[in-house]
Amino acid sequence: MYEDFAPRLARILTEYSVPIREGELVIIEAPLVAEPLAVALYEAVLRCGAHPVIRTNFDLASNIFMKYATDAQLEYVTPMNEVMIDQMDVRYYIKAATNTKAATNVDPARITTFQKARKHIIERYKERENAGEIRWNICAWPTQAAAQEAEMSLLDYTEFVYKACGLDHEDPVAYWQEFKERQERYIGWLAGKETVEVRGPGIDLSMSVKGRTWINACGDANFPDGEIFTSPVEDSVNGTVEFNYPTNYGGRRIEGVRLVYRDGKVVEASAAKGEDYLLSQLDFDEGSRILGEFAIGTNWGIQQFTGDTLFDEKIGGTVHMAVGRGFHEAGSQNMSAVHWDMVHGMTEGGEIIVDGETMYKNGKFLIDEETTK
Amino acid sequence: MTEDFAAKMARVITEYSTRVQPGDFVVIAGSVVAEPLLDALYRAVLRRGGHPHPLLAPANTREIFFQEANEEQLTFINPVGRMVYETADVRIDIEAPVNPNNLGAIDPARIGQHRAAHSEVIQTMIGRIGDGSLRWCGLSWPSQAAAMQMGIGYQAYREFLYRACNFHLADPVAHWQGVKEEQTRLVELLNGKSEVQVRGPGIDLSFSLAGRTWVHASGELNFPDGEIFTGPVEDSVNGTVAFNMRSIYEGQEVRGVRLTYQDGRIVEASAEKGEAFLLAQLDIDEGARRMGEFAIGTNYGIDQVTGFIGLDEKIGGTIHMAIGASLPDTGGLNQSAVHWDMVHDMRDGGEIIIDGEAVYREGKFLIS
Repeated sequence: MYEDFAPRLARILTEYSVPIREGELVIIEAPLVAEPLAVALYEAVLRCGAHPVIRTNFDLASNIFMKYATDAQLEYVTPMNEVMIDQMDVRYYIKAATNTKAATNVDPARITTFQKARKHIIERYKERENAGEIRWNICAWPTQAAAQEAEMSLLDYTEFVYKACGLDHEDPVAYWQEFKERQERYIGWLAGKETVEVRGPGIDLSMSVKGRTWINACGDANFPDGEIFTSPVEDSVNGTVEFNYPTNYGGRRIEGVRLVYRDGKVVEASAAKGEDYLLSQLDFDEGSRILGEFAIGTNWGIQQFTGDTLFDEKIGGTVHMAVGRGFHEAGSQNMSAVHWDMVHGMTEGGEIIVDGETMYKNGKFLIDEETTK
Repeated sequence: MTEDFAAKMARVITEYSTRVQPGDFVVIAGSVVAEPLLDALYRAVLRRGGHPHPLLAPANTREIFFQEANEEQLTFINPVGRMVYETADVRIDIEAPVNPNNLGAIDPARIGQHRAAHSEVIQTMIGRIGDGSLRWCGLSWPSQAAAMQMGIGYQAYREFLYRACNFHLADPVAHWQGVKEEQTRLVELLNGKSEVQVRGPGIDLSFSLAGRTWVHASGELNFPDGEIFTGPVEDSVNGTVAFNMRSIYEGQEVRGVRLTYQDGRIVEASAEKGEAFLLAQLDIDEGARRMGEFAIGTNYGIDQVTGFIGLDEKIGGTIHMAIGASLPDTGGLNQSAVHWDMVHDMRDGGEIIIDGEAVYREGKFLIS
C-alpha cells in the first residue's frame, strides 16, 4: 500500500511547495531512513532541469559527534556548509526520526556551543532567505520511530501521514491550490482587524493584532501544512488558557499546561506533568514569557495527536499558541531562543471573536461561504 | 566500546546458554534490526559444527497477517514452523523490537485465536524444553525502538545492555558459569527452608515455602538473566507491599501499587496510577489474586530501570512478586491467565528472613 507515496509527495514538493526552475541548485537533506523520498525528490528535481544534491545525515554519527566531539570539533564548521549556504537556491529538509529520544542525554551546554559556532551561517541563511534567494521546505516521512512516538504501527502511521498530506485526493496539487485560496480568503477577511477574543472550554483570552500580518501556511514551507498564524501585539495578551492537548518540546511530553497572561506576559504557569521543565523554559530569556504566535490549525486530514508538532499544530479544529519568539514577517518584535507551540482543541464550544464578530465556532470558520457550505 | 557486542553475545549464547554441539540443527530467529547478531550467531554455530538456519522476520508482516487473515488463515499451522519446534535441537529467539506498537491496533481476540490454534505447537515446545531435547534461549538485543521506549539514545541503550550482559568483564562465559555455580549453591542452601519474612520500607510480608523449590535463572533460557525464584504456598501469604518501582503489563503502566494479602488472597489493592487496570487484572480469575512467584533479582550489571520487565526483574538488589500463575518447576499450584511481575527495590533497608535467619539485607545475600 502507498507505493505511490514518495513520487506523489515529490511531485507536490517540486511543483507546488517550492516550484523548481531550470538550473537551480537544490539541496535535499535526508536521513538514511528517508531514502525512498530522497530518491523520488532527486528524480523530480532532475526532471525539472535543476541540479539536485542529496546530503544524507546518519543519525548515529550525529549522536556520536555530540557525545565525543571536543569543543574545538564542536565549533568547527566545514567549508562545504559555507559554500552550500552561499550558493543553494532551494533546500528540502526531510524529517524522519530514527529515535525521538536520541537527544535526551546530550548536555545542553554542548548544543549551545555547537549552535553558537554556526551563528554566522544561520544569519547568512536568513539574509538570503529574506532577500528571496533561498526557498525551503520541511516535510515529514513516516518511520518506525515516528510511529512509535505516535503510539501507532508503521502501517497505520503511514496511512495517517499520507492523508495528512492530502495524497488521498485524486489530484493533490489541485487540492493544495484550493487549500491555499481558501486560506487567502480567511486572511483577506482578517486584514486590518484589531482585537481577537478566544473563548470556550479551557480558554478565555484576548489580544490585539493591530498592525500585524496574518500568514497563510499552506504547504509552501511545511509539508503537510494547514494553518494561518500571526504574532499578537506583545503587551496586549490577557486571560487564561488550560491546554487540552499534550505538548512535546525538547524531546519531552508535557501535559495539562495552564498559563495566565497579564499585559502580554505569562504571570502564572503550571502543568499536570512536566511543570519544572515548563517553568525552566518560561524563564529561559526575556522573551520566553511573551506570546510569540497565535494560529488556527486547518488541516482536517489530521485528526489524531501524534506528539510531533509538525502535525499536531495543524489539526483541523484547533488553535495553537507559542510562548517565545515571534515571527518577523508577521510584524513581531519579540526575540527569544524559545518557540514552544501548544495546541488547544476548539471543536467543543470554542469560538474566536474578531472586532466583535464571531468568525470561528466549534472548530469551523463562519466567515467564508465556500467553507461553510 | 561495544564493538564486540555481537561476537561476545554469539560466543556466550552458543558456548554457555545453548551449548551447541556438532550436528545440532540450530534455528536463529530475529527481526531485521538484529542482522549483525544473526550473522555472528550463524558464524559461531558453524564453527561449533552445527547447522544454523536463520529465520528473519520482516518488520511489518505480523501486522499485515493480523489485518488480512481470514478465519481459516488465522488458525492455520504453518508446517515449517511446526517442524522447527518438533526437530530443532536449539532455538535462539532474538528480542529486538522494531516498534512496540506494531500490533496495537489489532483486535486482541484475533491474536488470542491465532495463539489458541497454536497451543499444540507451544506444548510441543514446552515439553521438549522440559525433557532437554530442545535447548531454547530468548535474548535481548539493542534496537532504536527499545532505546526510545526507555527514553534514551541508541548508543546509551547499547552500552546499558552490554553491561547488563556483563560483557564489560574480561571473560563473560566464565562470568556466567560463575553466576550459575553461585546460584546453584544459593538454591541448595535455601531449598528445604520454609518460613519467609520480607521486611523493609514499603514491605512487610510473610509466607511459607514448605514443599516448594527455589529455581535459578542464570542465562540459559533468557539472556541477560539473573534471578532465583520460587512459588509460595498459595494460602500462606500475609501482609502488605507498596511497590516502589513502576510496573508495565500488557502495555499499561501502573505506579504506586499497594497490595494487602490475607491467607494468600489479595484483599486490598490500590495504585496511584492505573488502579482501574490493576483491579481488572485481579478480577480476571480466582488465581489472579494469589502470589504465583516470589523471586530475587541478582544481576548487578543492570543499573537502570528500563520499563522492560524481563530486564527490570533481574536488577541486583530488587525482589519481584507475580500475581497469578505459578511457574511449574517451583512446585507452585496456582493457575491463572495472569502472570504479572512487580518489582520492589530492597537496597534501602530491605531484608529477608528465612526460618529465623537473615539471609538477605540491603540488596545483598548474607549467605553463599
